[in-house]
Amino acid sequence: MLGEAERRRFADLLAMVAERQDRDAYAQLFSYYAPRVKSYLMRLGADSALAEEIAQDVMVTVWRKAALFDRTQASVSTWIFRVARNRRIDVFRRAKRPDLDPEETMLLPAGVEAPDARLEAMEADARVRAAMVDLPEEQVSLLRLAFYEGLSHSEIAGKLDLPLGTVKSRIRLAFAKMKARLEDD
Amino acid sequence: MIKVTTAPFMDEATRAALASGRAEPALGLFLDVLMAMRGISEIEGEAIAGAALEAEAPTAMKPDALAMAFAAIDRGDQRKPGPKAMTYPELEAVPVALRDVICSAESKRSWSYGGPGLKRLDLGVPGGAKIEVIRLAAGTSVPWHTHKGQELTLCLHGEFSDGHATYGPGDFSAFDGATRHQPRTDKDTVAYALAVTDAGLRFEGVLGALQKMFGQ
Repeated sequence: MLGEAERRRFADLLAMVAERQDRDAYAQLFSYYAPRVKSYLMRLGADSALAEEIAQDVMVTVWRKAALFDRTQASVSTWIFRVARNRRIDVFRRAKRPDLDPEETMLLPAGVEAPDARLEAMEADARVRAAMVDLPEEQVSLLRLAFYEGLSHSEIAGKLDLPLGTVKSRIRLAFAKMKARLEDD
Repeated sequence: MIKVTTAPFMDEATRAALASGRAEPALGLFLDVLMAMRGISEIEGEAIAGAALEAEAPTAMKPDALAMAFAAIDRGDQRKPGPKAMTYPELEAVPVALRDVICSAESKRSWSYGGPGLKRLDLGVPGGAKIEVIRLAAGTSVPWHTHKGQELTLCLHGEFSDGHATYGPGDFSAFDGATRHQPRTDKDTVAYALAVTDAGLRFEGVLGALQKMFGQ
């Protein structure tokens, strides 16, 4: 993972792209992110040629939408992930897989989110990372499977050969630890 | 029927489905817009994914990838006639994510007639569920009706009632297929709503949970 100084540098670079269409700044972002976005897409099942094409597309979108990047809201990695995820939604039509698994899906009452949550989003991004460093590797990888690769709890259970209930409670625990960390310090 | 005005707060499975892009796209867009209108930020799930992206082992791009990206950027900039004005200026103020989708839908198709005073724009989002923007002209009264499946409706602008409750921006309703409703606006208020219909998909989890929380 990137350190704080590097994250700040990438945010500066993206701001330079937005403000003055700086091609050198863009080239630096491209050389770091394009190969990682490509890996992400291959992880989701794209072959190398398709992943290359979509990664290109994602990076072109990064140039075009750079002005929408708000460093108080998210890190560059989180923002580029979002662009890549949205392209993924367009490209890999989800026809085969059902939506949110009703067994797992639950909307809970409000009351937890702070009114100034948005002001602190960037800080939250940093704290999520800090909390991830503290979590046992096993929990980090569960969070990754769910939040990054987009596997449902039952798919994760199948993949890791664990009972569904165990997967659910471990993810809940890992996420709760992270939330606690966000609310603490 | 339920009218929900408090902010829903989601569990990890829902968050993960939204953050990762696994959620049915129409429902994902609906919840994104709902959260944006309520000022709820859901950064944690996406931050986990952002950090995971950094942890990826890079896969080399083709040697001319950057040059091709610049070529695409240059081509695009020449072609672009500048953002087109939206058909209805009231929709300029909706959250950016939705605005983009509306503009893109308007470039492909026009608003269709849905009965007196009623216009709809299919947003053409992939997946099994359907999401559209509905415009109710001032003084419109749609006859009582039911839907085939379930319907989630979020008020984007203006105010409308449905025979059960009144909705302003950020309010949403969740209907199952059995409940009759009658959307209407009063004589000087135009209203816009974002509506998702599940077309037989499985929103039961969401809907059931909402009903449990809010009674009815």
